[in-house]
This record gives sequence, C-alpha cells and structure tokens, in this order.
Amino acid sequence: MKEQVVCKTTEIEPGEMKAAHFGKQNVLVCRTLDGEFYAFLNQCTHQGAPLDKGMICGATTNESKPGDYRYCRKGEIIRCPWHGREFDIKDEGRMLANPNKKLPSYKVRVEDQNVIVYK
Amino acid sequence: MSKEQIRIVDTDIHERVQYKDILKYLDEPFKHYIQNCHWMQEKHMPYTQPSVAGVDRADATVPDGRPAGSDLAFMQKQLLDDIDHEFGILTSALDPSPSSMHGWYEMATALASAYNDWQIDEWLEKDDRLYGSVHIAAQDRDAAIREIERVGSHPKMVQVLLPIDDIMWGDPFFHPFFEAAEKHHLMIGMHHNEPPVYYGKWPRYFIEWHTLIPTAHMKQVANMIFNGVFDKFPNLGLMMIEGGFTWVPHIMWKMNQQYRDLRHEVPWLKRKPSDIFKEQIRVTTQPAEELTKQEFTSLIEQMGSDEILCFSTDYPHWDYDSPTRALPNMDPELKKKIFAENAKAFYPKLPK
Repeated sequence: MKEQVVCKTTEIEPGEMKAAHFGKQNVLVCRTLDGEFYAFLNQCTHQGAPLDKGMICGATTNESKPGDYRYCRKGEIIRCPWHGREFDIKDEGRMLANPNKKLPSYKVRVEDQNVIVYK
Repeated sequence: MSKEQIRIVDTDIHERVQYKDILKYLDEPFKHYIQNCHWMQEKHMPYTQPSVAGVDRADATVPDGRPAGSDLAFMQKQLLDDIDHEFGILTSALDPSPSSMHGWYEMATALASAYNDWQIDEWLEKDDRLYGSVHIAAQDRDAAIREIERVGSHPKMVQVLLPIDDIMWGDPFFHPFFEAAEKHHLMIGMHHNEPPVYYGKWPRYFIEWHTLIPTAHMKQVANMIFNGVFDKFPNLGLMMIEGGFTWVPHIMWKMNQQYRDLRHEVPWLKRKPSDIFKEQIRVTTQPAEELTKQEFTSLIEQMGSDEILCFSTDYPHWDYDSPTRALPNMDPELKKKIFAENAKAFYPKLPK
C-alpha cells in the first residue's frame, strides 16, 4: 500500500487547507473545525481548477424553503476558486449541486503529528 | 485539445485598469476629480459576488495583491505563455465603461480617450499577441466618432467595444459609429454590462441575471439586423462577447420565421436574417454550458455554419473557460476553426 507523510498537523489549522504532493499527484489536504484531516485530488471535477486557491467555508443548505437562508456546515465545504462549485468534505467530497459527482479522495491518518495520505 | 497543434486566438480577455494607472493619461480637471474628489464609476450589482474572489478567478489575483487582470507580466505567465496563445483580444473590465455612464458625458469622453491610450501603451505595444478594443463614450456622438478616428487606425485596435445595457445600438442615431468603424477596418464588439436583462432593472438573484444574459445578446442581434446595419455597412462585423452560444439557432429560426411573414416592414433586408448572421455576426464561446459532443455537433448543424463560434476564455473572470476542458472533443478541422481560424477570418486586422 502506497503511503506518504504529506505535512505536519501543525501546518494546517482547523478550517484551513493546503496543497501537497502524494507521489506525483497534487492533493488537497483539508482540516475541518473538529480537527479531522481529509485529502482529495487538488483539481476541480469541472474544468480542473486548483482547489487550494479557493476556500473552505460553510454553505447555505438545500433544506431551505424559498426565501429562507440557513448557513451551516462551517469549515466543511470546499469552494472552487473559479466557478464557485461547492464540495462537501465530510461527505466524500460530493458536490452540493449534484451529489453524484465527487472529488476523488484519499485515505488519511495521523501518527505522531504526521499527516499520512494513503490509497 | 492538444495545445501543440493549435495556437488559440482568445476572443475575450479582460485587462483591468486601476484608476491610479490611468491618471497620467487624463487631462485636468478630470484627473483632479479622480485624484482629489474620489470619483469612481457607479456600480450597482446588488448581489453577493458569484465566487470566492468576487467576479475574478481566485488564483488570478496578482501575487503582490493587485486585482486580477491588472498586470501584464502575470497575465503572460498565467494565461498567454501557459496556454501558448497565438493572439488575444482585450475587452477590458468595463470599469470604466464610458458608454454606460449616466450623465457627465465630458468625464465619459475623457475616460474613453485615457483608457485607449493606456491600453495601447501598457498592453498592445508591450505584447505582440495582444490586440485591443476602442472605447468610446457614445453619449456624445461627435466626440465618440473623433475618438474612433483618433485611435482606430492603430494597427492593433481590432474593434469598437459597445456595452450591452440599456441602449439599442442598431438605432440609426448610432450608425455614424459603424461608418467610422468600417472605414478603419474595425469590427464591433458587444459585451454586456449591468444590468442588461429585466428591462433595465435587476432580477432578485445573481443566478437569474447571469442565466438570462443571452437574452440581452439576442435583443442586440435582432435590433442590429432589423435596423439594417448589416445591409448599410456590408463590411462591418459584429462579435457578441460572453453571452455563450446555445441561443444562436433559436434566434436564427425566430428571425427567419418573422421575416417570411413581416418582411414588408423592413424592406431594406435583402438577405434572410440567418444569412446575415452567418456572414456578419460571430459569437464567443464562453461561458459554455457543459455539452456532450453530440449536443455540440448538433448545435453547429442547427446554426448551418461552423464559422460562427470563436473560442474565448474570459480570463481572469470567475467563469473562465479552460481551452482544454470547456468544450467537448471535436474533429481537428472544426477545432481549428473554433479555436483560431474563425476569429482570424473575422477581424481584418489580425495577421492571417
């Protein structure tokens, strides 16, 4: 099984993300507000934009009725730097507007402050 | 698309001026109004910005913090060199957009001239690949024509840029612009400004506004054709910029149908509207809807011409289209036309 230390836990604050290399692949390592780490291919499924140049934020949810806004999921949504598409970090990188599409993801574990990405 | 094979002609690149950069091209007192009186163009968009960095690609902010599109060196690195553009047409950030200004035509006229001088000095004369758009303040028609005369013969100015907002440009009042443009082998480029849909007002949501921008483009096309602009100026061409392209078959069919029944009202039209479109109107591709190859090919067939579409990125805006990802795969001949040849054939001043 291929695995690699991609960064230290201290390099990414909760609610932040950064690009890293996993072999030849450019991966996006994300840390949600509860301190957990996640990793995805650092490329939007739409036109290939580098996701690390976007942002981690929350989202208005689709449970809203017309005219009703609810902002939630803070620190759990990746927004693409180009067209603004939203991907759910805690739901396998699924796109909010079309959950059938998702960002390719990697497994992650933490050992001794090392963030390890593996397939 | 394989970039080794086709060097693209990008028909919509937005360079951006910062007011401090334009000061040296402005005479007093207009310089004073910006420098000391904090003038800036009115902007109304009442929505949240569409994406992470407003209306720009978040990765297009200049590394030193200046706004996207404001630095030639960074644009070269991120766009022109990276993709290996053959040519790019500058269409500005529409700020200032002199023809869109309400009142104060003197300021609008001064800004148009300053912008043109800045564009020539800082962009057109610094990169062989870049070609430009003449800005005018249409409210003062005579001054606008003088501006076309002043900079229109510059070898790298390829079109006169008109905003789509609340002015219908086919009106005979504006025909002297087309006469002046034709004289200098300039085409007309039209790009929407705010707010061109909902009868001059804003819809409630950005998503509504942005969805319906093609309707504003259709209005201008119908207006220009039925007012006889293309019959009066047979060497003039119109590039519709940033409205996408899937609307083209619809407006062609609709205009042809109406023409068969109602020709008597516009007897100066000697050709079917769709033929006028095919001969004198071109359309940039961005923002492209995500189409399958079959859907895309079918649309081209419905247009009855593979010479209408001209690829554009819209760099550095948020809804940028990637040359390798935005359009479906197509056969090499068609690809060559859409990514380069159609635009070269359209703009007389682009090297062939």
